[in-house]
Amino acid sequence: METTHQSTKPIITFARFGNYTSAFKTLFENLGLKVIPPEKTNSRTIAEGAKLAPEMFCFPLKVTLGNYLPALRKGANTIFMVQNVGGSCRQRYYGVIQDKLLKENGWEINFLDFKATPRDIYRKIKEVSGASLWQILKAARFFFKKIGLIEKLEKMAQYYRPREIEKGITDKALTESVFKIEELSEEKDFPKLKSKILRNFSKIQIEENKNLPKVGLIGEIYTVCDPTINFEVERKLGNERIEVYREMSIIYHIKKAIFPWKDWTIQRKIMPYLKSTVGGHGRDAIYEILHYIKEDFDGIVHLLPFGCMPEITVRPILEKIHQDSGIPFLSLSLDEQVAEAGINTRLEAFVDVVKNYHKIKSKKT
Amino acid sequence: MKIGIPKALIYWKRPYFWENFFENLGFEVLLSPKTNKEIVEIGVKVSDPETCFSNKIFWGHLLWLDRKCDLIFIPRLKATEEKLEYCPKLFGLPDLAKILVKTPILTETFDPRKGKTKKTFEKLGRKLKKNPQKIKRALEFAILKEKKIKEKQKEDFFKKFQIKKKKIVLISHPYNLYDDYANLGMEDKLKKLEAEPIFIEEVPIGKKKLRVKSQKLEYPKFHWEFGKEIIEKIQEILKYKIDGAIEISSFNCGCDSVLKEFVEKAFKKNKIPFLYLIIDEHTGEAGFQTRLEAFIDTIK
Repeated sequence: METTHQSTKPIITFARFGNYTSAFKTLFENLGLKVIPPEKTNSRTIAEGAKLAPEMFCFPLKVTLGNYLPALRKGANTIFMVQNVGGSCRQRYYGVIQDKLLKENGWEINFLDFKATPRDIYRKIKEVSGASLWQILKAARFFFKKIGLIEKLEKMAQYYRPREIEKGITDKALTESVFKIEELSEEKDFPKLKSKILRNFSKIQIEENKNLPKVGLIGEIYTVCDPTINFEVERKLGNERIEVYREMSIIYHIKKAIFPWKDWTIQRKIMPYLKSTVGGHGRDAIYEILHYIKEDFDGIVHLLPFGCMPEITVRPILEKIHQDSGIPFLSLSLDEQVAEAGINTRLEAFVDVVKNYHKIKSKKT
Repeated sequence: MKIGIPKALIYWKRPYFWENFFENLGFEVLLSPKTNKEIVEIGVKVSDPETCFSNKIFWGHLLWLDRKCDLIFIPRLKATEEKLEYCPKLFGLPDLAKILVKTPILTETFDPRKGKTKKTFEKLGRKLKKNPQKIKRALEFAILKEKKIKEKQKEDFFKKFQIKKKKIVLISHPYNLYDDYANLGMEDKLKKLEAEPIFIEEVPIGKKKLRVKSQKLEYPKFHWEFGKEIIEKIQEILKYKIDGAIEISSFNCGCDSVLKEFVEKAFKKNKIPFLYLIIDEHTGEAGFQTRLEAFIDTIK
């Protein structure tokens, strides 16, 4: 096995992750590897992935599996998958299961399933690319710059979208910028591009000082961050003139993995509700809902893949908090059988509730 | 003082142990009855619709105990002595129980990775205002009794192989195997079809620790206690002559979706017929019976 893979040059594909996919692509390219990025998620890839995957497995596995397949057909032969980012949950076995499924279906691939520790990441990268430590560090720096910019743009879009005068211009600017960031391959051109993109964004005309209802997005990281999976909840709410906030992002996750004190604060804040970790981002969901209530938000949207173990465990607690505080709460569980029309109807009803809640609240003050 | 223990889910991880322990301490113990239709219905009503069937049964048992005792005991099981984790759904049980019932909940976190089990029991004793010496003695007696039951199980296991019937291994979590309502009386049904069911729980594993690198194995190194246990026991049972295997899993069990892949592979490789059954609150008895009969016919 080993020798055959060394003789053929590795062509990388990896799990898709919303807008951040482009940053991952550059990371691998800067390590001197050939990359075929995974296909953008659509109903066809989801159906393809769900066909291969075990029926009861959680949704992100099916989605990522569906994303690999077109890339594999184009000639990719090596897949990167991270292990145990989720603590106690099923995410730990994604690599093993996907490897097994793809091999059973006749794909000859090299599956690189690495632990989320610096040592393991370094070793796996060394195994495929032979890049020096300096090269890896440089690639990582560029990767974080790109991710940081994309996250900043997403945050800005959340602010601009409900306030824009010409409808749809923010989304246009966002997709354009993400595309431009993807195209950029030289690190030295980055500052120039960054200032250009930010200038573009600042040109968007907005209505200032508008008192808008605010909604917090909580839940499982993959469904919250990837607009192609959650049916663009962020955009839909934004177009209804609702400001959307979300804490979850890659940088947030990496920060939490490196520095443990964020976890300590979270545990201290949620003590009356939950006294232990439940795996994944279960605790974060409770922390965020409490935080948003304190910040005087007008609604919470909870997103999770169907049957996600940590989120299901904390959902009764979230519902209890919602009942105690009276904040509008909508929980959407997503899988391959959920249709967009159903989500739209529920979102529309939720928007009405949020706007009413906001109106009553602002009358009181 | 009366202590209630729901006879579902985590109870079956150490059956008879907890009730012995509290009785030795001089408390009155109230166990919830065997699972019945009423309990399942209450449980399904209060629980989250997407949680697994076993969890729903647990909430039913919990609500049955509500207001019938002074304390309800729900341990927070996090890891075993071998430092393997339990299912993450079990981590939050005491906190979720607090939302559902008004009876105070007695709980203690069992996590040998963070503190010795002996100390955890002492902490539990302090909550009940019992001194460490008494706790120690109660614990020893309870463990002794548990050992006796296990030895008897081992004897029964070898007796089963002397019977000349088709032997079928039932693979599942203990809370599905021992709960006759949840698995729709699987044991009786198989016996009526003239087959001898063998619970995977009862399979004894030798104390020898095989130190094989996980890369050479066909299954991943599980961080879940049941994952490791079930897979190891399957390797053990494959050494005996068995005629078929049935895996029962409760609907939406996250852990089983991982485990099933490797369990199925192990049996298919050894050319042993394998049947996979999912149980939930809507499972019909007739459909179950038909599938079982068809399965038994194939192995005859």
